[in-house]
Amino acid sequence: MHLGAVKTVAGIAVILGSVIWSERIVIHNPPPGRVHVVYWEKWTDFEADAMRDVVDAFNASQDKIYVDYLSISGIENKTLMAVSGGDPPDVAGLYGQNVAQYADDDAILVLDDFCKQKGISADRYIPAFFKIGYYRNHIYSLPSAPASVALHYNKDMLAAAGIAEPPKTYEELDEDCDKLIKRDPRTNHIIQQGFMPAEPGWWNFAWGYWFGGKLWNGKDKITANSPENIRAFEWIQSFSKKYGTSEMQSFRGGFGAFNSPQNAFLDGQVAMEQQGVWMSNFISKHAPHLKWGAVPMPYPKDRPDLANLTVADEDVLVIPRGAKHPKEAFEFINFVESQKGMTILCLGQRKNSPLKEMPPEFYSKHPNPFIKLFSDLPKGPKTFSTPQMGIWPEYMAALSTAFDEVNLMQKTPKEALDDVQARMQPKLDESLERLRRRGVIK
Amino acid sequence: MKARRSKESIAGVLFALPWLIGFTVFMLYPVCASIYYSFCEYSVLKPPIYVGFENYVDLFHDDIFRKSLWNTFFYVIISVPLSTIITIGLALLLNAKIRGQAFYRTFFYLPSLVPQTALACLWLWVFNSEHGLLNMGLEKLSGHFWIFHWHISGPPWLSDTTWSKPALIFMALWTGGNAMVIYLAGLQDVPVELLEASDLDGASPSAKLRHVTIPMISPVILFNVIMAMIGAFQIFAVPYIMFPNGQPAQSTYFYVMYLFDTAIVYHKMGYACAMGWIMFILIFVMTLLSLKVSEKRVYYSGG
Amino acid sequence: MFLIHLVLVVLSIIFLTPLVWMISTSLKEESIAAKTPPIWIPPHFEWHNYWDAFTYNSQKLGYIPFLVYGRNTILLCILVVAGTVISNSVVAYSFARLKWPGRDIAFAVTLATMMVPFPVVMVPLFGLFRDLGWVGTYRPLWVPAWFGAAFNIFLLRQFFRTIPSELSEAARIDGCSEWQIFKDVVLPLAKPALAVVALFSFLATWNDFIGPLLYLLNQQSFTLSQGLQFYQSQAGGTSWSLLMAASTIVIAPIIILFFFTQRLFIQGIALSGIKG
Repeated sequence: MHLGAVKTVAGIAVILGSVIWSERIVIHNPPPGRVHVVYWEKWTDFEADAMRDVVDAFNASQDKIYVDYLSISGIENKTLMAVSGGDPPDVAGLYGQNVAQYADDDAILVLDDFCKQKGISADRYIPAFFKIGYYRNHIYSLPSAPASVALHYNKDMLAAAGIAEPPKTYEELDEDCDKLIKRDPRTNHIIQQGFMPAEPGWWNFAWGYWFGGKLWNGKDKITANSPENIRAFEWIQSFSKKYGTSEMQSFRGGFGAFNSPQNAFLDGQVAMEQQGVWMSNFISKHAPHLKWGAVPMPYPKDRPDLANLTVADEDVLVIPRGAKHPKEAFEFINFVESQKGMTILCLGQRKNSPLKEMPPEFYSKHPNPFIKLFSDLPKGPKTFSTPQMGIWPEYMAALSTAFDEVNLMQKTPKEALDDVQARMQPKLDESLERLRRRGVIK
Repeated sequence: MKARRSKESIAGVLFALPWLIGFTVFMLYPVCASIYYSFCEYSVLKPPIYVGFENYVDLFHDDIFRKSLWNTFFYVIISVPLSTIITIGLALLLNAKIRGQAFYRTFFYLPSLVPQTALACLWLWVFNSEHGLLNMGLEKLSGHFWIFHWHISGPPWLSDTTWSKPALIFMALWTGGNAMVIYLAGLQDVPVELLEASDLDGASPSAKLRHVTIPMISPVILFNVIMAMIGAFQIFAVPYIMFPNGQPAQSTYFYVMYLFDTAIVYHKMGYACAMGWIMFILIFVMTLLSLKVSEKRVYYSGG
Repeated sequence: MFLIHLVLVVLSIIFLTPLVWMISTSLKEESIAAKTPPIWIPPHFEWHNYWDAFTYNSQKLGYIPFLVYGRNTILLCILVVAGTVISNSVVAYSFARLKWPGRDIAFAVTLATMMVPFPVVMVPLFGLFRDLGWVGTYRPLWVPAWFGAAFNIFLLRQFFRTIPSELSEAARIDGCSEWQIFKDVVLPLAKPALAVVALFSFLATWNDFIGPLLYLLNQQSFTLSQGLQFYQSQAGGTSWSLLMAASTIVIAPIIILFFFTQRLFIQGIALSGIKG
C-alpha cells in the first residue's frame, strides 16, 4: 500500500510539474518598473543580432520602456492568429507584402497620428520604401530593413568564357549563357550554368516587371496576361527550351544550402545570379576568395527605359490591433527609424537603408563593396514592389504555379498567365466586394 | 435492488463525465459551429456574416479546389490498393514458419515509426535528383548493365509533376508496416483446421490463398482498407514539408493543404469549413460504398 | 522455403537502406555528403554534426535549439499520456462495466465521432481556443487528452469486457464502491491494454505536427517535429548532413523505445486492427 501511495504522489507531482513548466515556457513575466513591450521578429542568425543591438541600444537609452525581442517563425501567419486571439505582440516585424492584407483585415493600427507627433513623414524616406507601408491613404507600417536586387556575377567564370563585361541586356545575357554552359560529356547533365531564372526563386512573381509589365492596374483590374508579362515568361521558358527541362531541374535539385559554401553561386556552379544586397555577406563568409561584382539587372534591348531597375523589398514594423502598449511600441519604432537606429540595423544586416540621408560612416564602414549601387538603384523612378492588395498571398501562389508550369514546359506562357488572369480577377472582384460590404471602401 | 441500480447509474454517468464534457466541448460544439461557419463569410477578426450557399457555389467554380481534390483522389486510389496488396503480401511471407520472423517483422515495421517531419526530411534527401540515394542507385544499376546500352537516369522526383505524387506513394508503401502487423496477426487467427482440410483436398497454394486465407481475413482487410482510405484522404504533414505550396505546379497540393491555407493564410475560415464538410461527405460516401461493395465478399465467422 | 528467405532478405535491405543512408549521411562532412558516387562509410565520423544539430549553434544553423525542443516535446508527452491513460480508462470502464440510461446510444455516438476528420473541426476548435486565450500555449495540445478520445475508449472498453464480471460482483458483495472496484480489481488486470494506450498516445504526441503548427507561436516553445522543419530551406538549399543528424535525433528515441516494448507494440496493433 505504501509503495502505491508513493507512486501516486510521485505521478501527480510529475504531472503538476509538467503543467507548471509548460506554462512558464509560453508565458513571459515582465521585468519590474518598466513598460514591457513585446516585439516579434522573423530574423535569426546575424540579422537577429543586428536588431537585438538596436533593441539593446534603445533599452539602454531610457529607463521607462523595456523591449523584449522574440524570434518567431511563420510570423506573417502567427501574428494574425495572435491578433485574433486577443494577445498580440506590441510590435511585429512583418514582410512588406503583408501590409495590405493586414490592413484590409483591420489587424494593424494606423500610425498617422504617432508619426505626426514624432515628426516622421514621407520625406524622410526613399519614396519606394515609404510607399510599401502607405496604403489607402494611411501609414500602416514603417520600414525596418530594406533590400534591393542586382545581378551578381563571378568575374573568373565570365573571363574564362571569354566574356569581357557582364551583360547589359537580356539578349546579351542569353548569349553569355550559351558561352557559359557546360555539361558532363558522359551523362549530359549540366554542371555549370550562366544564369538560372529559377534561382534563388524569391522573386518569381516579379519577372513581368523587369520586362515592363505590371500585375494589376492599382485599383480593380488584374493584368497578369499583359503582353510584357507574357514576354517575360517566354524568356523564362526559353531556358528550358534551350537547355532541357529535366536537366535544369536535376541541376537545381543538387544545389546545396543557401547559407553554406555549397551555395550554387558561391561554389561556381552558376556564374550569375539575381540576388539582394545581403549576398556580399554570404560571399565573404563562405567564399572569401570569390572575385565578384554586381551590376543592375539587365533590360530588354528595345526597352532602354527599363535600365537600372530594381525591386524594392522591405521588412516592416507594425503595431497589431489589441497591442497592450501601442504608445510605448511606437517609441521603439521611432528609435529604429532614426539615422542612429538605421545605422545599427542596416550596417549589422549588411543592407542598404530606407532613409534618404545617412551619416557618411554608413557608407564608409559598410562591408558590401557595392553598397552605393544597392543604395542608388531603389531611388529610380520605376522601382517596383509587391502589389498592395489583400489577396496578394493567393496571387503570389498563382504566379508561382504559373512560373513552375512555364519552367517545366507544361503550358505556354500565354496559357499559364491567362489561367492566372482568369483565376485572380474574380478573386479580386470578390475581395473588393467584401471590403465594400464591410464599409472599408465605397 | 433499485437503490443499487440507481447507484450504478450515477456511478456510470460520473465515470463517463470526462468524455461527456469533452465530447460536447471538443466535438459537438465545433461540429455545429463548423456547419454554421460554412454558410458564412468569416475572416477571423470580424464576426461571421451569413452568406447562404455562397461558399459551396464558389467551391464548385474553384479550380484549385478541383485540382487539390484530383491530387487527393489520385493518391488515395493508387496508394491504398497498392499498399494493401504489398502489406498482405509481406504478411503472407512472414506467416510462413521461418526462422527470424521477429527480425524481419521488425525491419518492415521500423519505417512506420518515423515521425512525419523526419520522414519528409529523409525522403527529400533520398529523392534528391542529383545526390539522392534512389537516383544514384539507379545510376549504379544502369552502369552494371552498360552492355545492353541501358541508361537509367532517375527522374527528378521532386521537381517533376509526373513523379512527385508517385514519390509520395512510394513513401506510403515504405511506411506500411502498421498494416502488415495487423494482417500478420489476422493470418495467425485463421483456423488451422481449414487450412489442413484444404491441404487434404489437394488444393494448390494459390487456391488455398484465394478460397481460405483471404476470405478468413476479409473483415480485417475491409477495416484496414477503410481506415487507410480515410487516412490517405487527409494527407497533410509530409507534403506540407516536402512540397511547399504543392510544388511543382501544385501537383502535390492536397485537399487538407488547401484547407489549411484557406483558413490560416488566406483568412477565409467560412470557406475552409465548407471544404471540411465536403471532405466529410466524400469520406462518408466512400466508406458506405466500400461497405456495400464488400457485402458479398466479406466473410464474418460469426462473432 | 529458401526462396522466401531470399525475398525477405532483399526486401529487408530495401526497407532498411534509407535509414542506414540517413545515419551514414549524418556522419559526413557537408562537402562530401552530396557526392557522386555515394560514400557509405565516411572517412571521418563527424560526430560533431550531432552536437551542432543538438545545441544552440547559431553560427551554422541560426538558432535551432534542439535541446529546448526536446524538452518541450517530453513535457507535452508526459501531460498527454497521463491524461489519456487516466481519462480513457475511467470512461471505458463506464461503458464496459456500468449500466446507465443512454449508455448504448452514447457509445454509438462515440463510435460515430471516429469518422469525423480533424479538418472538419479544425477552424471552430481554433476559434474556441482563441476565445479562451489558449492559442500560443500548450493547453490546446494536452487539455483535450484529459477528456477522453473515441478510439481509446473503444479499445479499452473491448478489453474491459473480457474481464470476468464475477470479480466485480464479488467485490460488490464485499461492499466496495465502484471506484474501488475500478481501481483495485479491474485496473490491475488491464495493465497490458493501458500500456498499449500509453505507448500509442506517446507516439502520436511525439510525431504530432499539425497541432503544434496551429497552436504554438513562440519559437522557443516549439516541439521537435516543428524544429526539424527549420533545417530544410531556411533560405533555399539544404544542409544535408545536419538535417540527417537532426532527423536521426528525432527518430532515435522512438526506435529505442520500440526495441524495449516490441511485444506490447505488436499486441497493441493487433488489438486495434483485429477487434475493429
